[in-house]
Formats: sequence, C-alpha cells, structure tokens
Amino acid sequence: MVKLRIGYPEDPDYQERLEEFEARIARGEKIEPGDWMPAEYRRQLIRMISQHAHSEWVGMLPEGAWIPRAPSLRRKLILLAKVQDEAGHGQYLYHAAETLGVTREEMVEALLSGKAKYSNIFNYPTLTWADVGIIGWLVDGMAIKNQTMLAQCSYGPYSRAMVRICAEETFHHKQGKEAVLLYAKGSPKQRRMVQDALNRWWWPTLMMAGPHDTDSPHTPLLLRWGIKTKTNDQIRQEFLDEHVPELLEAGLVPPDPELRYNEKTGHWVHGPIPWDEFWKVINGEGPMNRHRLLARQRAHEEGRWVREALEAYSKRRLAQAAD
Amino acid sequence: MWGTEWPRFEVIKQDVKSAPPQMVGSVHAVDPEHALVVARHVFVRRPAAHALWVAPAEAFYAVTREGLKDPPPPEGPPGVYWVFARRSQRRSMVYGDLVGRYQAENPLEAIRQALLEVQGYAFYAVPEALLHGTEPKEEVLESWFAPAKEKTYRLQSYYGLVTAKEEKDA
Repeated sequence: MVKLRIGYPEDPDYQERLEEFEARIARGEKIEPGDWMPAEYRRQLIRMISQHAHSEWVGMLPEGAWIPRAPSLRRKLILLAKVQDEAGHGQYLYHAAETLGVTREEMVEALLSGKAKYSNIFNYPTLTWADVGIIGWLVDGMAIKNQTMLAQCSYGPYSRAMVRICAEETFHHKQGKEAVLLYAKGSPKQRRMVQDALNRWWWPTLMMAGPHDTDSPHTPLLLRWGIKTKTNDQIRQEFLDEHVPELLEAGLVPPDPELRYNEKTGHWVHGPIPWDEFWKVINGEGPMNRHRLLARQRAHEEGRWVREALEAYSKRRLAQAAD
Repeated sequence: MWGTEWPRFEVIKQDVKSAPPQMVGSVHAVDPEHALVVARHVFVRRPAAHALWVAPAEAFYAVTREGLKDPPPPEGPPGVYWVFARRSQRRSMVYGDLVGRYQAENPLEAIRQALLEVQGYAFYAVPEALLHGTEPKEEVLESWFAPAKEKTYRLQSYYGLVTAKEEKDA
C-alpha cells in the first residue's frame, strides 16, 4: 500500500537525505511509512518491533496456564481479559512492523523456527498463583516503563501501537498490584507464597530492561534516531524508584542484600545482576525455552484446520455468489 | 507450510457517533466479512465503538506530505473516495482521521480536493465501493459492540488502589 523509500549509504544523495531525516527527528516529527528512511533505521525497527510482538505472543503462555485454576470467577475474568490483551498487542505490533515491508509470515516463521528472540522473562515458569500477581505488578510494571518510552518513538506506526498498548498495560499493572497487596496482608501462608514469587521474579524482571548501557551496542544509534528515548539503565532506575518503596511498604523484601537507598542521589541502588543467567537464558538454556517454543509451534500446527476451514468457507461462498 | 499468508485489510473504527472514523491498524483475513470479525476482536476489546469498516490494504492509495512533491502514480477508477489524513506530528496517538468523501477521477485527485480543506502529514484514499462495514442498525451495534462496553476490567480507576502506604497510614 505504501512504497518504502529506503536510503543506503552508497546512494549519491544519502548524506543529504540523512541530514534532512535527522533534522526531522530532532524537531520531534514522526516518520511515516512513505517517508524516506535509512536502511539501518528500517532494519533496527523491524528487529525491535518483531521481537516485541513475539514477546506478547509467547507472553500469553505463562499466565494462560492459570486461567483454568484462577481462585475466583473475578480473577478468572481479569486474567482472561489480560491474556486476550496480549494477543491483541501482538497483532498491533506485527501490523506496525508490516508497514516496514516485512511480511507477517516471515516474522511468524522466525519465531516458530527459533530464529527470532522474544523477551527472556517468559522463559521462566509460573509455579503458583502468586506468580500471576507478581507478573502483573512487576513484569508489566517494567514493560510499561519501556513502552511509555517507546510511545515517543520517531516511527509513527510503532509509537501509535505503543500508546494503545500502554493504556491496556496499566490495567495489567494495577490488577497485579492489587492481587499482590491482598496476599501481602493475608495469612502467613499467603505472605510466604507471594514473597517466594517475588524472590523468583525479581532478577529476571530487572534483566528485562536489557544489558547495562555499557554493554548495549545498539543504544547510541537508537537514541540518535529517536527509536528509543531512554537507555536500559535509565528505565531500570525508574522501575526501581517506583516499585521498591511500594514493595517494602507492603512488607515484601526484594532478594537483593545490597539493595539500598542513596540519600544523595535520591535513587535506589541494586546489587550486581546475575548476567550469566541472562545470557544463558537468551541463548536457549532457560527453564522454559524449549517448552514455550514447542507450545507456539503446536498451537500453529493445531490451528491449521481452522485456517483451512475458513478458506474453504470463503471460497464456497464466493463461488455461490458467482452462480 | 509457508506462502499461505491471507490478504491484509485496513481497519477503520469510529469510536462514537460524533467522532470521525479513524484508521487504526490492519488484520489478515480470508475475505472482508472475516476481516470485520477479526478486526472486532483486535480493535474493539474496550471501551467503545460505534462502527467498523475494513477494506483491502492494497486498495489504499497513500502519500505523505513529503511524498506529495513527487507522488506515486495514482491508479484507480473514477468514483467516490474516502480520504483520511494524519494531521499532527506532536502527539503520539494520531491516526488517519476521515476528512471526507470526494467524487474524483483517481485517488490522488481525491486527496488534492481534501487538501483544499485540511493540512496533514500523511494522506490515504480508498474507493468507497471497496469498504465493508457494520450496518448502522441499533440491534447490529448492540450485538457487535456492547460486549466491549460491558467488559468489567477495563479502567485503571476500577482498582482505585489502595497503595501499601495508604493502607499503613489508615
């Protein structure tokens, strides 16, 4: 529908157009699909948006497992609505990536073949119901920090998708917080359960923001082109400053003996993040990597007859209409 | 296994009767009727909708303000076109809003007519004949859009939290 105009460094007018492009971004203008853009801008966007879409798509699995086991009808309805949202978010994002000329099929194939990455956090299992609350409050809390930043993104379709997603993520965040606070002031058994969930999800959540800025090779270019507007460490810091005081007030303790408040800077400081584990999980050795991928492959395979039936139905109706 | 991607349909949603229809995204589907159902699942989960349309993505003629200097050749029959425009850069949540319906020789001509009335950063024109939408009847609206409206867990304020601090201070 829109012809992409992509510039390569070897093009004779590349430098001139790049300056024009960067001036537009500096003015706060959005880049739309028909506008000129550097090939690298397009490549980085496709990489980020499709990874993001895959994360929403895989992210349905850890919580979806708890839909049949939710403790009340109210909780079940909330969780159903939430998981349905994740499916919708995946759709918005795949659409945003498609405006860059990549097909849905290529992206889905990259996910199902294991070639594409998705957020590490979904390679951990949800062992108890309290995990569902902690995911809502902390995992979605970190996601919102990242996503509100991306809602400012210079690429129009991505930023619009993010605004919509953020509006829905805040509902996820609130329901998680509500569930956790309820358990935190519940029976000793409930308190133990929710503290245990916090212990298991704390470090993976902090890792969600990505490697430290010093280890993040893409960040400077992404900032310059307005794809990202904050660095990984900035996002992690915002998350800590918002969530640590609330967790502590709820009587929950993050499993980090070095966690402390720095009076001078007014920020919370965390201890060393176990990056070895992060890289291990990214490279496919997490507790649930294989399981998650298998579940997505199976869903795709088992949905085949539905796709075929829809096609057959449509063909027959068209044929009948033609008669 | 691959090479089976369904056609893409652009989705146009009108939130309330008084607001202009907006382009909100796209879906893949086997035909327009299927596209409308999928669009409802993806874009009308909450909180409100008054009408929904779909049209094949390739039927949209698109041009940005930058591209108007050297617009792509317009292909399209004479007829009525719906023209959408993105009118702002600053705010993030800017969709293509329906500017109007224009009788024109081709889509670019329709956009040029719209440009006499509005400014914008990106423009889209689609033949009215290719739009497929929900019927504007009360019972249709009810069955299509009431479930989204009644979705209980939709507003943040619903939880009215109850921070740990307030609990402690109470």
